[in-house]
Amino acid sequence: MRDRLLPRLLGILSIVALLGAWEVASRTGALNPVLMPRPSLVGLTLWEILVGGEFLGPLGHTLLLFAVGYGLACLIGITLGLLMGASPVIYGLFEPLVELIRPLPKSALVPALFLFLGIGPATMVTVVVLAAVFPVLINTLQGVRGIDPVLLDTARTFQCSRTRTLLSVVLPAAMPMILAGMRVGLGLGLVLVILAEMLAGESGLGYLILDLQRSFQIREMYAWIAVLAAVGGTLAVIFDWMDKRVVPWRGRA
Amino acid sequence: MGQSLAAPAVARATTARSAGSQNPAPRPRRNWAHTRASGFALILVLLALWEASSRLGWVQGQSWPPFSAVLVAAWRGTLGGELSLPLLSTIGRMLAGYAIGCSLGVALGLLLGANRWIRWIVLPVVEMIRPIPIPAIVPPLILFLGIDDALKVFVVALASFFPALINTMAGVLGVDDVLLQTARTFRVGWSRTVLRVVLPATLPAIASGLRVAIGLALVVTVVAEMIAGSAGIGYYIVQMQYALRPDAMYAAVLCLAVTGYVLNRLFLIGEARLMPWMGRG
Repeated sequence: MRDRLLPRLLGILSIVALLGAWEVASRTGALNPVLMPRPSLVGLTLWEILVGGEFLGPLGHTLLLFAVGYGLACLIGITLGLLMGASPVIYGLFEPLVELIRPLPKSALVPALFLFLGIGPATMVTVVVLAAVFPVLINTLQGVRGIDPVLLDTARTFQCSRTRTLLSVVLPAAMPMILAGMRVGLGLGLVLVILAEMLAGESGLGYLILDLQRSFQIREMYAWIAVLAAVGGTLAVIFDWMDKRVVPWRGRA
Repeated sequence: MGQSLAAPAVARATTARSAGSQNPAPRPRRNWAHTRASGFALILVLLALWEASSRLGWVQGQSWPPFSAVLVAAWRGTLGGELSLPLLSTIGRMLAGYAIGCSLGVALGLLLGANRWIRWIVLPVVEMIRPIPIPAIVPPLILFLGIDDALKVFVVALASFFPALINTMAGVLGVDDVLLQTARTFRVGWSRTVLRVVLPATLPAIASGLRVAIGLALVVTVVAEMIAGSAGIGYYIVQMQYALRPDAMYAAVLCLAVTGYVLNRLFLIGEARLMPWMGRG
């Protein structure tokens, strides 16, 4: 117990020390108090946003778009990855296309999608799908490829049907790789949805942060960035928890 | 881990089949459908559809130029410098930020992996900053660094820093204990152990961190240029969107795709050269 307490304590101490140093530097003017307002003031603003329920609107907007896009990306990525891994015909059909689109920096596609689909939820969801689908797809494919042949032979010995083999043998065996890909996709999807909101300039967390900076409401801007950091952190924690549940046999996440 | 899809499933499938049968055919006939020819055909069909849909007016609007127009725009822009100059400046900023971020990330990662006290103190701060999506960091940074090169290099460095740091640290923590004990048995000094034992054993993990970082670096450079536009290909793309010149915009996207592909290839080649024992091409 003590072994785990000490690192926690040190970690909290170092964060507190950092915030304290920031506070002092901002008070004494070593840091420009306009550009780096005191953490206590930012904290106060953050508190007001949280208590007033003001954060629900933009946060819900962003999270909904992200969730739909990310869900679709996982669905498409895993399905296509399994199929490509299982069937050489499908692999040959899609591999060149995937390799063509994958190296594209997805951020560059955002303006193109604005022109093509207009600015709206459909575009945002498409952006998230494009960002998250490739890590999931590639990892699924590699997970299927790396499967132990003994497992497949066993399934064959028991005369499992192809579909059943795919769902009950291949999918679980590839799960650790799939989840690793989904983890990468999670971060990328979040980056892209924020960027798309900034460029679209309509609504959501990304738009809000950029707008606050442009109207020089620095304190509010930091408060919202803290909200966003909390969202990213929470998603990562949830994901790790799920990861341990789904593939308990993996040593460490 | 590796992103290479070089080894086709076809080879494995056919060998497995011929090994399974008692009487292997002298040479398994290559089924047309089992090659990637169908995939390239699919790309051609899609491009032809794109061309036709634009030329024949199936898709309305100015935002849908025919593919040939995009190719022409890409060709002209590359030769004329309208496209190649922003692209080069983008690559320059990206490489600068990438180099800075990765060297700091690897150095700090080695340190955090080697000493648990430093890890306990520094890691929580890292974990506090890391979940912030990079675009959200750009607006406050604009206040400090303006919108010029310093901002973009910093943002790219920050984005590359985290994967390099986390992977290096995980690599150091995962070093086989026997190696360390052997070094200790031979009374190898601390700095020498880090350089001659820990670092080589950690190289694969570092390499995978650096590969994640290079993919991220290009994305983030473009992101920063779009949000805080003053130069570079990201800015160019947004400008062309506003100017309703979709052919130039798609041409820029095309150039970025080529850049991303080439960077990844170069990275894989370099990796195979430096770490032949990784056994991946």
